[in-house]
Amino acid sequence: MKNDSKKLYEQRENKRRLNAFPAYNSLNLAAGASLGICLFLLFCAFDFKTGALNTALTGVSMVYLAPAVLAFLVALRIKREILLRGKVENSTRRMGFALILFALSFNVFCGVAGFTLINSGEGGRVDKARSVEYTLSFYAALVSISTIVISSFNVFKPYFSGWFFYGIGLLLLISAFYLTAAFLSNKWARDKTVDKRMLPVAVISLLTAVTGNLFALFLGIVIITKIRYSGKSIEWIDITKRLFRNNMSMIGMFVVTFLLSLSVCSVLTFDYSVATDNNYQAMLLGPSLMFPFGTDEFGRCVFTRIVFGARISLIVGVASTALPIVLGGLLGAVAGHYGSKADNVIMRALDVLYAVPGILLAIVIISAFGTNTMNLILALSIGAIPMYARTMRASVLSVSNNEFIEAARACGAKNYQIILKHIVPNSFAPIIVRATLGIGSAALSTSSLSFLGLGVEPHIPEWGNILKTGSKYLEQHPNLAIFPGVAIVLIVLAFNYFGDGLRDALDPKLK
Amino acid sequence: MKKLLAVFTAALLFAAGCGASGAGPAGNGPSGLVTPPSDVEIVLLGYAGQENDLNLVRDQFSKSGFNVSLNLQPDYASFLTQLEAGNYSFAINGWTTVTGNPDYAVRSLFRSDGDYNRSGIDNPEVDRLIELAASQTPQDYVATYKELENVLVTQNAYIIPLYANLKTQAFNKELLKPGSVRLSKSRSMVWEDVDYADESKRDTQPLQLCQSTSTLTSLDPVKGNDGSINMLNTNMYVRLVNLTDDDKVTSEGSLSYQNVIASGNSDYYFVLRDDINFAKVENREAVDTGERVGAEDVVFSLKRANNKDSVPNHRTYSLHGSMKEMEIVTDISALDSVTESGTDLTLRDALESATPTAIKELTDDKTKVDNAAGVYQVVKVTTNIPFPQVLNYLAHQSAGIVSKSQVEAVNTYDLSAYDVTKDIAYGDQSTITEGATYDNTLYASGPYIALYKNDYEIIFQRNPGYMPSTVHYPKIKTVDMNFIADSDAQLSALRSGEIYALYSVPAGKYDLVTGDPKLSLQEIPSNAVLYMLSNINGSMSDLNLRLALMYTINQEDFLAFYQNKYFRAFTTLSPLVNTGNVLTQDYEKANEYLKAYIESR
Repeated sequence: MKNDSKKLYEQRENKRRLNAFPAYNSLNLAAGASLGICLFLLFCAFDFKTGALNTALTGVSMVYLAPAVLAFLVALRIKREILLRGKVENSTRRMGFALILFALSFNVFCGVAGFTLINSGEGGRVDKARSVEYTLSFYAALVSISTIVISSFNVFKPYFSGWFFYGIGLLLLISAFYLTAAFLSNKWARDKTVDKRMLPVAVISLLTAVTGNLFALFLGIVIITKIRYSGKSIEWIDITKRLFRNNMSMIGMFVVTFLLSLSVCSVLTFDYSVATDNNYQAMLLGPSLMFPFGTDEFGRCVFTRIVFGARISLIVGVASTALPIVLGGLLGAVAGHYGSKADNVIMRALDVLYAVPGILLAIVIISAFGTNTMNLILALSIGAIPMYARTMRASVLSVSNNEFIEAARACGAKNYQIILKHIVPNSFAPIIVRATLGIGSAALSTSSLSFLGLGVEPHIPEWGNILKTGSKYLEQHPNLAIFPGVAIVLIVLAFNYFGDGLRDALDPKLK
Repeated sequence: MKKLLAVFTAALLFAAGCGASGAGPAGNGPSGLVTPPSDVEIVLLGYAGQENDLNLVRDQFSKSGFNVSLNLQPDYASFLTQLEAGNYSFAINGWTTVTGNPDYAVRSLFRSDGDYNRSGIDNPEVDRLIELAASQTPQDYVATYKELENVLVTQNAYIIPLYANLKTQAFNKELLKPGSVRLSKSRSMVWEDVDYADESKRDTQPLQLCQSTSTLTSLDPVKGNDGSINMLNTNMYVRLVNLTDDDKVTSEGSLSYQNVIASGNSDYYFVLRDDINFAKVENREAVDTGERVGAEDVVFSLKRANNKDSVPNHRTYSLHGSMKEMEIVTDISALDSVTESGTDLTLRDALESATPTAIKELTDDKTKVDNAAGVYQVVKVTTNIPFPQVLNYLAHQSAGIVSKSQVEAVNTYDLSAYDVTKDIAYGDQSTITEGATYDNTLYASGPYIALYKNDYEIIFQRNPGYMPSTVHYPKIKTVDMNFIADSDAQLSALRSGEIYALYSVPAGKYDLVTGDPKLSLQEIPSNAVLYMLSNINGSMSDLNLRLALMYTINQEDFLAFYQNKYFRAFTTLSPLVNTGNVLTQDYEKANEYLKAYIESR
């Protein structure tokens, strides 16, 4: 009996010690996820009728098996090191570089695990982790390099955008810059202070953010903020740090940023005509190097269509979330702050809107005003207004009772000043979380509407449109439905995980 | 920092060098076309089912440098609204010549007063050529129709042809006897011929078929001409003549033994058979009424087909407008005094060539007919002008023979005060729908009769009095027509064995049928043509622009998209008359017309 409880205690103690090393968990995740993907690919490669293995797919699955084994071995090793010596040896940490290499095969899990391992600071403990600048630079580089890898598939095409080499060259330079920035951050950036010499890095990374690299944008802002408020603790930077501790949310943010960056860079590296012009010599081809996801019934490259489709999905997703946040947020804030009559009128009117099913409302609006992207955004926005208004009203109600509001009023602040300066900023956290989840569902709604033939014109690449074509050939050419389907799943999951992570990071109780 | 900047600049220059030496923006094959004015916007109108064709046209116009936008409507009704409002430059339009004769393919579409002349074509030359060709024999009308095609397309681009369709049918060859399932160019599926491979199943296993529409327009043949009833009425009502699988007029399997055109091409004679009785439904079983299908019924049926005011919602009178008189011939000497068109045979000899016995006597009373004893009935149809193609219209479903006594007994309403909510006309689908309204008053002259219908199926049973002891006696006792709205679901039903034959396999799914060992695919060029209507009175009123656009169309792309299963077309006549006209993409001509258009602006 006594032995048992001692054993239990040891188990818990070991678990606690291991948890202090984030690399251990992310290595386990990487090993499991890679093995899962490997098994799935093997399953796809096996022909159950003939019992033969598809060599190409088997090869690809091996590319995922190798990091799975490596991650597992490294995890075993650091487990031993942690339990025996309480720290991770530098030699083990260097193995992270090998894992990062596998990120090139789109194994994001491995990339993150490898990075966490290297990044885990002296002895591998979380509290000695490197600066947030270093992490941001690394992720920015990862996004940029992934964009290059994806874009390079275009070299197999018979012709490509005239700007292709400029685009790739520029991206290569930018990636090199991010890696340099990582190196410099390691040298000059500390927990609360940053060397002033980092300022040019900040400026350049803000400039490179036009490639859609949100990590670079953050990097620039963080450095500038830190230089300006040197030595002070800044709330949102702490939140960012907490966000980076959550593996899944980081992967979510990575996917979103990657898609954004790919959509922006596709202006240079992809040829829109490949996505929209019919090619009667290449109809319904299977996946190949020239057409990585195959071609559809009109001979258009599905891969290129999906890349361009991300634009519409992201634009509609973000715009149809931003619009109701502004409108709903404002209405909710007014209702919550003034209460009584204003509250009743606004909220009851919104209740009426809330009672109409969102997708039905969207269908009605689109049928009435016609199908185009603007109407699509409007249709999806209007249905979401009550949701944000309610969330805003609830947080405004709890914030308005605080003393600092009373103090502001005592100082003679006007109502609109109180709302805009004091109430709204303090009740924005739940809205942000809702919004990230909302973007995912907006992207999904866009696809649903396109699938029903109510989104955009049929030839315009949009994920729902592409999926609709695929659904016609589900039996003969399943690749036409699988790839856009996976893309939709990916963006929704990414936003959801990012939203989850953000909620945890914003939650004061989980600090 | 300076160093970094220098490296950056150098790298950028290097990248620029790469770009310059790499492939430039190749575009999509130089079209060599004059750049069209940017303010010319082409609006393509179509509805959901034509998404693929719209996309093909859009692709070709935009590759030629035009601004193209789509006006895609969810259904046919909203498509028509847009068409009437003129919100289009070109509207995709399909036409199927269900009668298999060229006159029907042009008359209502292109004559200035045509029912389906939706773009407002008003050209006296077109009208003249249509009338001229109608009076000509097949040898002579080829040249006339060629001239008509040139006026319609080459000179005016009233329409821009896209392709001619393929008619397909798939059936379960393990269950059905392969030779028994026919596929005809125009005629609908012939149920009475269909047989099981295992003949013992004939009386016990219903033949499972399907169609997409469950709401039937009317089971009165003159009151409908659409997909919901075409196959049903074809098999419920016998006609004076039939069409063969390649659209030749024949008396085989029809009410007549023989049909003869009298010299002058205005009089048409039919000698009737005596072995078809009307069937009716009693206790949900088909029974023989004992009433023969006779010349009185034929004359009654043709007169009501030809008369717009014979029934409310008459939908087929325009098909039969060429007929002037229909009568029963009682004077046998009338057959001896006239010869057959194109031969020296008397009508009597020509008619007798197919009758079982010599014609001794003619009667106008169908109860007195006795073919074995030489007593026959002969019907004479006279047309307004010499018009041999009238026979094709007589083979159409709408010329099906109904029972004079029964229709007169059911349609007792006052025609001028017809109220659709109260008066129940003959053939109303409510009379065979299960429930309170069920009151099956149908009298079928054809091989099958509808017993009852519900939301899922309509059940038919063979007419016991239909040509018994001939090869035309229906083989399978019961036919179960399932309603399956979606064409992909129909194909799935066929593949799972739920239905035994599928009329028209969805395009692009042929390999699913050919890849299935138990299924067989039949193909025949159909009379359906897809073309675009030019908005000649609206945005496409400029002839040069229309012609320029027409010559940028490449029909080869359409054929390639449809796996080379479809055919080139020039007008709706293409599947019926070989005029030799072909539309080929011609950028030189397109350039010429486009330049003329730009100059004239």
